[in-house]
Amino acid sequence: MNELDVLVSVENLVKRFPIKGGILRREVASVKAVSEVSFQIKRGETLGLVGESGCGKSTLGRCLLRLLEPTSGKIFYNGQDITNLDHSQMRALRRNMQIIFQDPYASLNPRMTVEDIIAEPLEIHKIGANRSERRKRIYELLDLCGLRREAVSRYPHEFSGGQRQRICIARALAVNPDFIVCDEPVSALDVSIQAQIINLMQDLQKELGLTYLFIAHDLQVVEHISDRVAVMYLGKIVEIADSDELYKNPRHPYTQALLSAIPIPDPNHHSKRILLPGDVPSPINPPNGCYFHPRCPAVKDDCKGSFPDLKSVKGQSSGSHEAACFYSESVNILQ
Amino acid sequence: MSLEKILEVKNLETSFFTEDGEVRAVQDVSFDVYKGKTIGIVGESGCGKSVTSLSIMRLIPSPPGKIVGGKILYKGEDLVNVPQNQMRRIRGNEISMVFQEPMTSLNPVFTIGNQISEAISLHHPKMSAMDVKNRAVDMLKLVGIPEAEKRIGEYPHQLSGGMRQRVMIAMALSCDPNILIADEPTTALDVTIQAQILELLKELQKKMGMGIILITHDLGVIAEMADDVVVMYAGRVVEQGTVQEIFDNPKHPYTSGLLSSIPKLNQRSDRLSTIPGIVPNLLHLPQGCRFQDRCKYVESVCKGVEPDLRVIKNHEVLDHKIRCVKDI
Repeated sequence: MNELDVLVSVENLVKRFPIKGGILRREVASVKAVSEVSFQIKRGETLGLVGESGCGKSTLGRCLLRLLEPTSGKIFYNGQDITNLDHSQMRALRRNMQIIFQDPYASLNPRMTVEDIIAEPLEIHKIGANRSERRKRIYELLDLCGLRREAVSRYPHEFSGGQRQRICIARALAVNPDFIVCDEPVSALDVSIQAQIINLMQDLQKELGLTYLFIAHDLQVVEHISDRVAVMYLGKIVEIADSDELYKNPRHPYTQALLSAIPIPDPNHHSKRILLPGDVPSPINPPNGCYFHPRCPAVKDDCKGSFPDLKSVKGQSSGSHEAACFYSESVNILQ
Repeated sequence: MSLEKILEVKNLETSFFTEDGEVRAVQDVSFDVYKGKTIGIVGESGCGKSVTSLSIMRLIPSPPGKIVGGKILYKGEDLVNVPQNQMRRIRGNEISMVFQEPMTSLNPVFTIGNQISEAISLHHPKMSAMDVKNRAVDMLKLVGIPEAEKRIGEYPHQLSGGMRQRVMIAMALSCDPNILIADEPTTALDVTIQAQILELLKELQKKMGMGIILITHDLGVIAEMADDVVVMYAGRVVEQGTVQEIFDNPKHPYTSGLLSSIPKLNQRSDRLSTIPGIVPNLLHLPQGCRFQDRCKYVESVCKGVEPDLRVIKNHEVLDHKIRCVKDI
């Protein structure tokens, strides 16, 4: 990957949450939410991040914006190391990086009008000289996100879920960012509304040249919107590849199982399904060796020894394809 | 193949009487439940699918809610009119229910063994405490909970989401019901756990032969589980038929719109087709067809009277019906 093409780059990112116990509130254990993750996001692309609940995908998204402080590792934005920037430097940088949250009901202040909500980032970043200039920008944003201009004087409760998510998107776009972390932006919406928001996000990306990190648990939605997809399991990226390649030729047994578990909206579809035994292990005490080995149908002895690194596998298409499995070239749990 | 009809919902009408007026949450909903078969009710939030299931269980909070019309026929009796104490004998014993959120529907201060035993001893007051406990352990084993003897003493917070949903299912099936109503049973679960639970429900249905009413917004789950499908929109049934008919030949513009707005695996397209607009407010419904504002085939006739549910194709079990004047 060309250096100039890369907008966000992450090296060995680790995020641990301490668990305190005892009278002295000493750290007795820690939750390893993200462990040694490295990847890059290209300018203008959408990187999808999928995984089950608790796999660390949201934590990773928040670490990128430094809404959570990473425990170790490095984050580069536009070639600049932002891991140790102080508060004010980081605030200036956040003009370029924004986030959209899952729940449009919880992420809008119910006491603020839509105008105040969208104006807030403009005021913080001192965009627009006066109220009328800001109002102009707000109208622009409402038009862009498919909301009516009358919305300015209304409150969040007057809007439906889909419209609220449009308000959240307008707020994120207010400062003209390059990079947006979308943390499950359509999970709380009904199917017909979900499609509207996905289309809006794709249109905006084309129009404004945005780069997305799209976090979701819905594999169909991620396939639709992403150029590349990373699959996380227990804080690790276990597979990353171009979207088409990953869905057609999954090389990690977890990805294979995940894809086979999706209910297909077609009663004539009968493919083999892998039922993974048990639950995701606790990230406080991840298993030795490959984190996936206790549930893996293709487990071998050496899987219990050490965690396999992400290594490239020969894919069906030309793009890069990496999987963290010792047997990624041959494994196929569907057979 | 002969089918045994065990529940018949006929022209069910449920309303909520609010300060702003009567909200007719369910209007003229009819369907049959057969032994050993699954009927899926699908629709978006607010379409009335959960209110339908709560009506069958007679769990509509009253006031403000009330079943204002129709019949729910079960074993020759109309459940709409049976007294509460008789309903209590049916509820949990003959018709039981699994809810969406396993954490909020389990009591956090009692062990799971306690909660399963409660259901059993309530409906079998003569059973000895030992037998009740054994039955609870057997139920946990049946739903695939490992080390059931040990787990029975655990509290809900000690279990994962998937395990909790298994406990809910164990509780619902502990009295061998004839009908199981599953209201979004897998919505709160991850996809690999969802696959486990759906598989479990299918397996238990084969073993125990209950009829399932499956309520969900996920068309993938419906395609996988249901034999018959009811599609609801704004309190009304807009289309019903066998699962094959609904997915192969969706005839109502809402059903076909819904089906084409989900991204399909391994079939990438540049744009998703959408249904424009939002679900109408049940207090301010448009005159005529309720879907008219969002329908791309709308004509002047759609704005007159609301179309009736009409048969468009006969089928030995369930005729394919739509509530639309057109054939798309």
